[in-house]
Amino acid sequence: MAVALTMAAMKMAVLRNSMNSQKAGLVVAGAVLGLILAGGTVAVAFVGDPNVGSVTGWHTGDLLAAAYAVWMLGWIFGPVFIGGGDETLRPEYFTLVGLRPRRLAFGLLTASFIGVAPAVSLVALAALVVFGVRLGSAASVLIALPAMLLSLVVFVLLSRVATAVMGLALRSRVGAIAAGLSNGVILAALGQGWVFFVAFQQVGGIPPTASAILRYLPSGWGLIAVEAAAQGAWPRAVAALAAMCLLIVLLLGAWAALLTRRTSAARPSVRGRRPMTATSAQGAVVAKEMRTWTRDLVRNHQLTFALAYAVFFTSCMLFMGMNGLLPYTGAVFILMAGAMSANLYGTDGTVLWLTLMTPGASEVRGRQWAWLLTVGPVGLALTVAGAAITGGPWPLPLALTAALLGGAAGIVPLISVYALVPGIDPHRRGGNPLRSSEDDGSLTGLAYAVIGLGGLTGVPAGLVASSYGWPGVAVGIVTGALCVWGFGALAESRLQSHGPELLQTMRTGKRAQSASARWKKFDDLPKRDQIIATVGWSLGAIPLFPQGIVAGVMKANGTEEKSWFLALHVPDPWGWPVVVFMVLLGIAMYGGALWVSYRPRPREEALPAAAA
Amino acid sequence: MSAALEISGLAKAFGEKIAVDHVDLTVPQGSFYGLVGQNGAGKTTTLAMAVGLLRPDSGGARIFGADVWAEPERAKTLVGVLPDGLAMPERLTGREVLTYLGLLRGMARDVVVERAGELLAVLELDTAENTLVIEYSTGMRKKIGLATALLHGPRLLVLDEPFEAVDPVSATTIKSILRGFVDGGGSVVLSSHVMALVEQLCDHVAVIDQGRVAAAGSLDEVRGAGSLEDAFVELVGASGAGAKGLSWLSR
Repeated sequence: MAVALTMAAMKMAVLRNSMNSQKAGLVVAGAVLGLILAGGTVAVAFVGDPNVGSVTGWHTGDLLAAAYAVWMLGWIFGPVFIGGGDETLRPEYFTLVGLRPRRLAFGLLTASFIGVAPAVSLVALAALVVFGVRLGSAASVLIALPAMLLSLVVFVLLSRVATAVMGLALRSRVGAIAAGLSNGVILAALGQGWVFFVAFQQVGGIPPTASAILRYLPSGWGLIAVEAAAQGAWPRAVAALAAMCLLIVLLLGAWAALLTRRTSAARPSVRGRRPMTATSAQGAVVAKEMRTWTRDLVRNHQLTFALAYAVFFTSCMLFMGMNGLLPYTGAVFILMAGAMSANLYGTDGTVLWLTLMTPGASEVRGRQWAWLLTVGPVGLALTVAGAAITGGPWPLPLALTAALLGGAAGIVPLISVYALVPGIDPHRRGGNPLRSSEDDGSLTGLAYAVIGLGGLTGVPAGLVASSYGWPGVAVGIVTGALCVWGFGALAESRLQSHGPELLQTMRTGKRAQSASARWKKFDDLPKRDQIIATVGWSLGAIPLFPQGIVAGVMKANGTEEKSWFLALHVPDPWGWPVVVFMVLLGIAMYGGALWVSYRPRPREEALPAAAA
Repeated sequence: MSAALEISGLAKAFGEKIAVDHVDLTVPQGSFYGLVGQNGAGKTTTLAMAVGLLRPDSGGARIFGADVWAEPERAKTLVGVLPDGLAMPERLTGREVLTYLGLLRGMARDVVVERAGELLAVLELDTAENTLVIEYSTGMRKKIGLATALLHGPRLLVLDEPFEAVDPVSATTIKSILRGFVDGGGSVVLSSHVMALVEQLCDHVAVIDQGRVAAAGSLDEVRGAGSLEDAFVELVGASGAGAKGLSWLSR
């Protein structure tokens, strides 16, 4: 236990020391998002018919089982998407301490509970207690408490074991591809989960087979215990809890075994075979990048992931008897592949020094060509195959494919030099190959930014193609080429003007200090001001934009859809005051954050100037 | 005749910490120049600024008269750099790294192929023909780094800790390459904290302490009558606090 507590204290210290304004903002934003999801899960416990047995319509237990299955899959597959999961304490740190694998695993597990994600998940699991109360059985409520805690341990352990298995899988090409396929399919299923609900809606609730499967997943065992307790089926309730305990012991053992393999195993070995035949500077960059795409197993995994995600994302509509999305598989693949390579320069790390030492050589263009050569043929093939299967339409998918290919090939290098997330140099990465940066929050943000901005580059071609057909394809080719050329040129000039700063960012892992002395450093602010700044910067957008401006626009347009806009829910004389209040609140939050962070005129600097 | 490397008034602060505090250094053509200092004295930061890898807060550097920041293309073709601990194109083999870099520098393909083969053979990296750089040992990484610094035939070499983690046999090879380079009219600047090595190789030396130049000049001027190590300890004013010994280690 001493080891476990020490590791927990160590993690707290690391988190405290690495906290800065940007991180604090991400943590708050993540916590808010997580709490919204957890609140949604608790709300699910109030929906539907709680009674055990056959009911008509939605069954609360089924809904909860589905919700917890999603939470569990999120724990298992989230780390794949957000850079290898929580690695605040790495097992490598403790190799020389001589801990037995099981003690090491137990210690790391204990430390894993320090953080936002476990706390948020615990809130979501509190729905079990609510469910117990609705079942009207004291026994259920009593059972729900241990079930909650055990489920959380199961989630965290499953996440850890899954990440460790991924780490092993990424040591061979077959493993990397297999992992990419399965992860892509499951994340697409999570993203398209509503399809299943619509399908179930048509049959009036979750069918018995599906509800049984959901309950037999480890995420449903807590629910089984609560329901069994309500029926007085004590052996079943106890068995469910005991099964969770057993699973925890097994997972802990598996994780301990995997940890020893992680710290002892060698690096993946991919051999270089093809001689480089390039003859020009640009050809050399393309050759280097193409080799990196094929030899780096993490990139193999990313491409397979994007492929599997795209194919499943569009084809799962077939469950509802719709194939209309199939022609857009290529477009989804291109955007996802772009998102995966968003941190193009950060992933390569400090090798940027070589580029800085060879001024005049155009590095960005070569990278763009290599990206297009890697992603383009697959994207085009997916589009053509999809459209061929459904028998059209042709112009819109082709227009989007062309526009997005060019758009992403432009946006990816641009965003990776403007919003560089400092990575861990490839030769210094630990036993978790997915972990390319310490700053996984920013990495995730970057991926979404590429999806968003890349998506925008497809809009002109999409609009023209949907109205006029084939001319849209020409527009797509033109805008695509313009994006590649223009954004690439911007990236190139940024690389030339800020190269040393980017290199310094990668060396130190910190963004270069802004030259302006006008902004106070977050760490220098008093606690109260830190809170004001964090809350203001990270949450000010919510009242200002969606709740204020967007709600106002919707109200002015007389939109029927109320969604989550408070101003549209309140009775009439109050609608507009709410809009105004929200806008003012948003401005006040930003203003407060600005007020505590901005130093109008530093007095120490003003005095000597006056004296002179 | 302009100096091989002329550093004037270089300064850099990271937040509150002043890493380099107005350093002036002149490396004459044809000299073998050693930069010595304790860990954190500012050697790496000075060298990074001198070759254009880190933007200084003030001051500048000229390589054979070419300003590193105003005429980077001219300055950077004259210098070969070996930084300490930075990444390489990790998924390439040694030969591919050299081919890639040579082409990137605009060299003709047959010249690149010939020089790459020669460098790999001399540095004994040709036995690991199919090994990717990411799998290289620390010593091999130093050697491929040195090869990239030499590839384009520079007139000045700036090497940050070139002998760290290099085995004695490879170190001898590197030393003879560097001596040959200086004999042929080239200039070398290297940083190290191994005094014996600097004394053995260099004809000029500068002692950096807390971001400033504590002493600079020819080797004999700096070390005086004693050894370089004695002169160094005296210059940086090391207290004997570390020499007390650890009580629990002796029985």
